[in-house]
Amino acid sequence: MTMADVEMTKAASDSDWVRVTSDDGYSFLVRRKVANASETMRDMLDTAVGNYLEGIERTCPVQQRGVIVEKLLEYMSFKSYYEGAGAKEEVPVQEFMDRVPPELVLELLLAADYQNM
Amino acid sequence: MAGRNVRGPASALTDYLRSTGITPTTIARRVATQTPAQQTEAGPSTSRGAAAEGHNSDAEEGYHSDNLDEPESPPKKQKKTAKTAVSKASASKSKSKKKKKDEDSEEEDPYTELSRSLWTNVPKPAVGSFENCAKCEKQFTMTKYTMASSTGTGYLCHPCAKASGTDPFKKAAAPRKRKTPADKRTVVHIEKRGFPSLVTICIDVIARHIDDVEAFGDIGALNMEAISKALSKNRRLTPDNAPLFYGAENTTLSMYDATNLTPDAFVALGNLNPNLTTLRLDFCGPLNDTVIASWTNALPNLVSLDLFGPFLIREAAWIAFLQSHPNMEAFLITQSPRFSLVCLETLVENSKGTLRRLRLREVGKLCDEWLGPIGELSEVTYLDFAEPEGEASLTDDEVVNLLEAVGANLTHLDLSGHAALSDAVLELGIAPHAHALTSLSLMHMPFLTDAGVAAFFGDFPTKLTHLDLSRNPELGSAALAAIASHSGKSLQSLNINGWKDVGGEELNALADEVRGTSLQRLDVGWCRAMDDFVVKKLLEGCRALAEVRVWGCNRVEGKWGETRRGVKIHGIETAVY
Repeated sequence: MTMADVEMTKAASDSDWVRVTSDDGYSFLVRRKVANASETMRDMLDTAVGNYLEGIERTCPVQQRGVIVEKLLEYMSFKSYYEGAGAKEEVPVQEFMDRVPPELVLELLLAADYQNM
Repeated sequence: MAGRNVRGPASALTDYLRSTGITPTTIARRVATQTPAQQTEAGPSTSRGAAAEGHNSDAEEGYHSDNLDEPESPPKKQKKTAKTAVSKASASKSKSKKKKKDEDSEEEDPYTELSRSLWTNVPKPAVGSFENCAKCEKQFTMTKYTMASSTGTGYLCHPCAKASGTDPFKKAAAPRKRKTPADKRTVVHIEKRGFPSLVTICIDVIARHIDDVEAFGDIGALNMEAISKALSKNRRLTPDNAPLFYGAENTTLSMYDATNLTPDAFVALGNLNPNLTTLRLDFCGPLNDTVIASWTNALPNLVSLDLFGPFLIREAAWIAFLQSHPNMEAFLITQSPRFSLVCLETLVENSKGTLRRLRLREVGKLCDEWLGPIGELSEVTYLDFAEPEGEASLTDDEVVNLLEAVGANLTHLDLSGHAALSDAVLELGIAPHAHALTSLSLMHMPFLTDAGVAAFFGDFPTKLTHLDLSRNPELGSAALAAIASHSGKSLQSLNINGWKDVGGEELNALADEVRGTSLQRLDVGWCRAMDDFVVKKLLEGCRALAEVRVWGCNRVEGKWGETRRGVKIHGIETAVY
């Protein structure tokens, strides 16, 4: 992930960037469309419903280690990429499962439960 | 016919036809009037004679007792006889041909059939020949697409055909296909493929590596609880991943959805957690006699058992288990229709001096006789007999006797759903004997009266923290006023759902009374007088407030400005989500 200048415009579109930070100081920049794959993050970033600090600053702190946040974001990109693809394309869930190391899976499970996804 | 009153069995169709005025008599009459006309059409002399020969004078009578149910058949027969007659006689050939044609066309689908006039008239002129338009009378060339005029007298030129509103190039609609019965039977299920959530993916990964539990690393007991909840929430706790939560050092185990565990898995649970003292299993339907029998030996230290839905366990298995586990401290079961008085007696006999908490909620066989043994439980602090089966109910006298015996230590009492209980339980049982009570649930007890409840709270010495008096529509203003002044300062949860006639002033007074207290939950559903001002007062006054339910309070509109974060208000009718 690279740093990019975030323009402070009010209108939220799928393609603007939001920042996701981890407990131990890592920060990730992802498209809003990807962040919306998590219901929790979508609600945090939604400027229309709640006027939350996260929404205004476009930054979602996730109380997890960087490696867990990275996996979360990997799933979120995976989901936002394949979810719209329709029934024709087979979702490579097995491949994704292979990429989840067992030593992370319990932490990831809790993080995923919190993120409601 | 009319003179004869004796009738044989008649079919539903016959009945129906008779009710609409179609009887054998009318059919006979119709046939009688039709026959001569057809004869003149079909040919002079032969048909009648032939019919008489071949069909035992069916045609003459027009009906036969066997055919009464089929009003269509006599004319049909008639047609056939006419046809055979005609062919025999070989008279008036063109007529018979026309008849045959008619019969054929009847078999065609009436929707796709060509119009009759076109069918019967002379064939269409050859493509390329000249015709005069039936409408504008101009000459035009016949094509494949030329259409007959609606009057049936000629053909239309292309402009006229278009002007008449029909599309000459339109292809005939595909014939409607009738579904075969087999197709009709097969239900088309809509398969909705949800995207696999990360939680389910993680659970699958766990299942894949379950044999190597060390690979997951150690993330602490608190997190194990959270993981157990996450699995249960997805109903994914299975015999495969349940061992994740097992360990010889465990003393407490809670599983919140054990539906998918097999009896063998429950046996394994007992064997792999030998030091358990507290076990809680929700939705433990598959738990059976074999499991309970294995637990009699496997869990020697167990003193607290909480089961939701152990309905397969039989009397004998309960007794053996309870005998092998003396000195139980908590025995909490919900929904167990086979738990009987003998089981209870065994429990009391073995754990008389230690049992503190007893829940027999939704236990089918519960009745007054059970209260005798329960009265021997000297240490009991928690009693829950709620929701008996059907109309069953404990009675006032027996409950009063029980409270006299064990009321002194009681902190929690739930008698919800015992419809025969009345104010006497409050007046003669709880008020004099249960002075340690802090949590009381008397939901759905229709004999409670407003005055009785008000009198009880007027002089009960202990403040309550939890009170549920919901579904008692007879209770109202007097009772609420008494509750507010009695326990208003101590209540953490209050449920007065269904007090339809409670007054607005009393609700307002309650909101004043609970100001600054630690009230967390309030259910005022279906209290008609509840309004926005009371909710606003509650929100401003109670910092601990977490949930207010206002289902059915149609004067609550949510117009009090901002709701504090952390407070959930459920059931605002006019709210737009």
